[in-house]
Amino acid sequence: MSLAAAAAPRAAAPPATDFARELRRIDARIAAGEGALAPPTDTERVTTYVDALYRRALLTGDLDALERVEPAIDRGIGLITHPGDLHLLKARLAFHLHRLADVGRILEAVAPARTCPEGQTLLADLDFQQGRYAAAAARYEAVIAKDRHWGALAGLAYHHFKMGDPAHADRLYAEAEDELTAKEMRAFAWLELQRGVLDLAHGRRDETAAHYARAERAYSGWWVADEHCAELLAVAGDLEAATELYERLISQVSRPELQQLLGQLHVLMERPGRARSRFVQARAGYLDSVRRGGVHYIHHLADFYCEAIANGARAVEWARRDVALRENFITQAALAWALMRGGAPAEAAEWMDRALASGVQDAHLFAQAAAVYGAAGEAEKAASCLDRSRQFNPRLSRFHVHR
Amino acid sequence: MADHNDPNAVNSIFSDIEVSAADLYDIFGFPSDDRDGGEKVVIALTFAAVPIAGTLDSDLLYRIRIAPDRRIQRNEDDQSLAGLLRYFDDVKKKYASTLKPAEVRVTIDPNNRAMVKFIGFPGGAFSKLIDTNTSLTLQSPGGHPIKIYVGGRDDAFFNDLPGFFRSINYAPQFYHVPHTMPEARELPIPKTFLELEGNDLFNYDPKNPMLGRGVKLDLPPGPWSWTGNKFKKDADGNFRFVYSGQDAQAGKNVNAIILEIPLAYLTDAPNDHRVVNAWGESWVRKAAHKVESIPDEPFWIERPFDLVGLLELDDELKQYKLVDTDGQAFADAALSEREDSRQMGANNFWLAPHFVKRLAHLGWGFGPSVSALGLKCSFDHDNSPVSVHRFEHSVLTAFPRVKKVLFQDLRMPDDTWNPKGLDIPLRRAVEIFIPNVNSIDMDTTGTWPFGRRLEDQVATRFLSVFLDMDAEIKGKKYSVELLNDQSLWDAAPIVPKTPPNPLKNDVPFLKAFPYLAEPHPETATASPTYPSPTYPSPTAP
Repeated sequence: MSLAAAAAPRAAAPPATDFARELRRIDARIAAGEGALAPPTDTERVTTYVDALYRRALLTGDLDALERVEPAIDRGIGLITHPGDLHLLKARLAFHLHRLADVGRILEAVAPARTCPEGQTLLADLDFQQGRYAAAAARYEAVIAKDRHWGALAGLAYHHFKMGDPAHADRLYAEAEDELTAKEMRAFAWLELQRGVLDLAHGRRDETAAHYARAERAYSGWWVADEHCAELLAVAGDLEAATELYERLISQVSRPELQQLLGQLHVLMERPGRARSRFVQARAGYLDSVRRGGVHYIHHLADFYCEAIANGARAVEWARRDVALRENFITQAALAWALMRGGAPAEAAEWMDRALASGVQDAHLFAQAAAVYGAAGEAEKAASCLDRSRQFNPRLSRFHVHR
Repeated sequence: MADHNDPNAVNSIFSDIEVSAADLYDIFGFPSDDRDGGEKVVIALTFAAVPIAGTLDSDLLYRIRIAPDRRIQRNEDDQSLAGLLRYFDDVKKKYASTLKPAEVRVTIDPNNRAMVKFIGFPGGAFSKLIDTNTSLTLQSPGGHPIKIYVGGRDDAFFNDLPGFFRSINYAPQFYHVPHTMPEARELPIPKTFLELEGNDLFNYDPKNPMLGRGVKLDLPPGPWSWTGNKFKKDADGNFRFVYSGQDAQAGKNVNAIILEIPLAYLTDAPNDHRVVNAWGESWVRKAAHKVESIPDEPFWIERPFDLVGLLELDDELKQYKLVDTDGQAFADAALSEREDSRQMGANNFWLAPHFVKRLAHLGWGFGPSVSALGLKCSFDHDNSPVSVHRFEHSVLTAFPRVKKVLFQDLRMPDDTWNPKGLDIPLRRAVEIFIPNVNSIDMDTTGTWPFGRRLEDQVATRFLSVFLDMDAEIKGKKYSVELLNDQSLWDAAPIVPKTPPNPLKNDVPFLKAFPYLAEPHPETATASPTYPSPTYPSPTAP
């Protein structure tokens, strides 16, 4: 699929896509499960129904709906004798919403959820998010040794991706794909997207496009694939096509970060009015989530006040909250960046030191580090980081999507 | 988008994969009664009727693997543990290097036509695209006529599966068992043919007679162990049988690949190779190959043994993953606990130590219930008055107890199985289950364990391995058919007075090819021979 093809408008009456078909199946399951959360009921009815609600929220990217699944899970837990599966689902939901402390608490308390391979993989994900990189890798490897689940292979691939071994990472992604059958095409598409992201991080745009095209062929009609294609279009400089695709995505998926990305595209295209409008909508979405008690968008808010509507003090405030939730190279670097934007370059350099101490090898991170060290007057470190950034990705774009 | 490379961002904890067309049910095999044009063998592989009977899944590939061979000769009747291990080693060598199984491979195109490939047979390789749900005769390159049917049929398996699951306290048949509780599948209660006093989880409940027969309850809180000390008896002093004798598969359909093949096509030495070993495999297309043809990259640096495995696969098979195998009835379910990693087909030699220990575990349960009925048991259970839930953790302690189970000749009820009156040794359990293949003896009728005829009540015959074949009843030696004898149950202190499983199929088999009865008009999907999870497995997205 060419980049132009990625942005091409779809036919007026397209055949049902894989995405549409899956959504229809889930909706049918939800309809069939109505009443499952009221006694008399049973484990199968409750679990199937709650799982369908969860799947629908994930598939449509609707975080509000995902938040609303949690009370349904809680009701289900109260209705059945052995709710280990639902506790695992709840832990996954908490992870998705970045409530990492909740993930740990649930898995600690519920042995069946913790000890199963899925629980162990989730614990490895948690280790990584909390900056315990070696422990995460060891746990993924332990799961893989027992059960070559594609999810654990993908987790380990991400670890190697970030730790600077992209070849190993890509092999692991390929191995994860090899575990999947024709009945699991969405998972395959997701892995293809990750391989594309891996290539993009190293400036290999054609390879990225090829992976994204395979993802679309594997599982058609998925907005997540479109969102990756939109980033690629922007990185490749086709800002008009990227804008068009982001606008279409926003019409399908209510996610404030898409508004921010579109706003940033407008900035690059020197359309400040349109950019401002998108930024306002993004901010409203982020803050609405926070008002509801969510933490998912805290990281985005730190980024927002650095890159969208600049406000260094607020950026630092949100970045500190983010670090408090999960201290890892991403949040450390984000705090460093916010501190620099907020006029505290010395402290920024300290946080960037921490981020780099993780061992992560990433062009975007090194580029940020170069700027932070430059602002802090550490010219030698800045030059070194800039070199390393170019070494990893000689085509690093100003447009960046946080993944 | 802040999913942090989280696969769970796109998946739930439960699989999308429900009842699968890859779920193999049975492989039948027997010499054809039709001898016109020479000896022929009938082989029928049955599997889940998914999406429906008569329509097959185009993502699946089925193999019927066939390895003709000489009959096993027992030059040295060594019944020691060392001899057992030597036997396993010899079988391993034979299947790994000597025998080169040929195969019939079937895939389905989007129009529900079957591409059938005959690969590696001395009679010549060929392939043909055929219509499904139709009996056809193909001609091999050498002119051998081969009958074939691919499509929907009645499920030829007639069996009280819920009874079997009750006998092993298999909770998923009766209760909703969460994925996160694999330990709650076979519950820690003695396996038994007779209900245990106080085994409220599995004993027949007249208030809920359909429990385990379509009705499931939530699994009660534990503990699930049994603390009683005797078999249950009613006011009349009768035991309660865990079996009902009812056919749980009645009215259900399967999809099937049915073949009738001249022996001369299968082997260059039909007079020498009198045993046709057959087993089935299901493979599902890999995701990558659903999108496009992508060369496989053997990850030989990290997984060198995978490379060895890949080298044995042809280009087509590399596009698929092996999912299920089927050789002997109950080899997987009863002896291997149905763990996917143990679905090894002919390559199940490495299970040998597990096989011995698992047989001992079954023996501690079934053995005392056999003895309680006044029958002699082949398992040494120290005259335990009641079934025991016990694992033998060492082959050394398990072997002496199961030695007779493994090595005794499984006597046939009469001589009809051996119509030519040849000197054919009776089969033994050890030979039947390892390797996990259907060994069809062409000089016999092919009745189990010399193959498997459609009319064989193989589930009940399997139970007979726990009978002492040296014992007599009414002046007659025990045989594999003893438990199918209604008069035995009429005289036994037990209710219901029935053989464990039905004695015949719900609809008659056909006298001519394709032998399995027409599918039922409903689009019912047959239940798998071992139950699928109540909701999809968590091992896939």
